Amino acid sequence: MPRATKSVVHGMGGGPIQGVGIGLRTPHYGVIQHDKPPVPWFEVLIDNYLGKGGSPLTHLEQVCRDYPVTFHGVGMSLGSTDPLNMDYLKRLKQLVERFEPACVSDHLCWISVGGHYAHDLLPLPYVKQVVDHVAERIQRVQDFIGRRILVENVSSYLTYRPSVMEEWEFLCRVVGAADCDILLDINNIYVSARNHGFDPMDYLRAVPVARVREFHLAGYEDQGEYLLDTHGSVVHAPVWALYRKALAHFGPVPTLIEWDNNIPAFGVLQAEAAKAGAIMDEVCCRAA
Amino acid sequence: MLRKLQQHFFDGLFGKQNDSPILELINDAGARSSAEQLAVYRDSVLGGLTKALAGIYPVCRRLVGERFFDAMAGRFIVQSPSCSPDLNDYGGELAEFIAGFPPAASLPYLPDVARLEWAWHRAFNSADRLGIDLQALAEIGEARREHILFRLAISATLMASSYPIHRIWEVNQDGYQGDGSVDLDEGGVKLIVWRHALTMHIDPIEEPEWRLLTELAQGRPFGRICERFSRYHPANDIGAVLAGAIQRGWIASFDLPPA
Ligand SMILES: [Fe+2]
Repeated sequence: MPRATKSVVHGMGGGPIQGVGIGLRTPHYGVIQHDKPPVPWFEVLIDNYLGKGGSPLTHLEQVCRDYPVTFHGVGMSLGSTDPLNMDYLKRLKQLVERFEPACVSDHLCWISVGGHYAHDLLPLPYVKQVVDHVAERIQRVQDFIGRRILVENVSSYLTYRPSVMEEWEFLCRVVGAADCDILLDINNIYVSARNHGFDPMDYLRAVPVARVREFHLAGYEDQGEYLLDTHGSVVHAPVWALYRKALAHFGPVPTLIEWDNNIPAFGVLQAEAAKAGAIMDEVCCRAA
Repeated sequence: MLRKLQQHFFDGLFGKQNDSPILELINDAGARSSAEQLAVYRDSVLGGLTKALAGIYPVCRRLVGERFFDAMAGRFIVQSPSCSPDLNDYGGELAEFIAGFPPAASLPYLPDVARLEWAWHRAFNSADRLGIDLQALAEIGEARREHILFRLAISATLMASSYPIHRIWEVNQDGYQGDGSVDLDEGGVKLIVWRHALTMHIDPIEEPEWRLLTELAQGRPFGRICERFSRYHPANDIGAVLAGAIQRGWIASFDLPPA
């Protein structure tokens, strides 16, 4: 349901987030610290700051002093069958308590088995048993770090024979059972829709509006036979079109521009964020 | 069911590829076989880990060339999986792998260059320790001094090589100006790799300093170190060597066990 004002997600100390934020990346530390550009919030890849000191933490401190932040990770391995990695969660909890980000998010996927880590977002089979398994782990993570988390839908390049439900049904069941929030990656929905031949609007319409706290936007690469989620370019036209529909459906959800490969000058990210901001204003004001 | 699927998936990524049981669990996707679909993940996982290693070992990569390095990284990754969710923990055994990798045998200094780059990587991300409390140190009475346990900077790694690896490292930095040739007969070097605040250091150290620092890194009390030091370097004054090491920042704190 479109809301007249921008929806605001509150952080405890880092300040609330709204509008269009930018993913914090190492090559931009200098320009961010020097120019203090007017960015409403930054998303921090928190797994890069697990060390106990040194340059990374110093930069994180500086950014957190100047801007509201969200924490985004891949290390929880929420869909893994290994025990939760308590060392990782302890370190994450320390960072969360110290910097009080507006949101803490990870992915609806698995990255490890047998104590070995792929450092990549691997797909889950969509079956009831896995819904229960993942929801229970999300609950334990939330209890441990003392915060609600957001889980993000990932891009995928295969589906499993044993799956008995659609991805969006799996997502909805997991977040319902875990009682957690959702980070909806609009690009990932588009990529998976193209790869697996579903209608992205079926996805959007199924997702519970009240749980969606953040959107992601990024660029994919067209490999001909499939789309690859590379985060290495501007957001493509069909994803902008889907973003408009998502804003009309969910309201002005805080949105992030992600870029991880071939990282351009900071101004390019600001231009993408401005584009998303203009679309957000246009769609959400008109709807109001 | 999920456990088996995930184990098969990892086997499919890192191990046998064509007859992997995971392929049976993947849906057909038009013209694309399940092996092709899994390969998207294999390329992504291996590509991500290779990129991480390239970031830690830029000098090694420059020395052997990108194609050689990436191919070597591919072999390393399959045999040495990541065991931590923190990607910064990955890759510490690459030097050992290179030492046993026949195609790299023509560059005998390469494993030590890799050790140097790993020490740098660890120092970059390590915890910090506040400066040493010189006043508290001065106030320790003569009789208690032999019990002092000096500590290196937390970021510090001591390393010795039979090759001039600090020179090899230096001339292979971006923007290095000057004579890019290194004479391997220049001989070996002893180094301490460490960080002070945001400044990284690779400092060559002399024999007496090496003796002192390696002894204290093993947790020996100062009295015992003095005994051993005088045996190896009877002509050197350990007091001066200690003062120099504290002043350089190599020694960053001390403990005095209760009497
Ligand atoms: Fe995302």
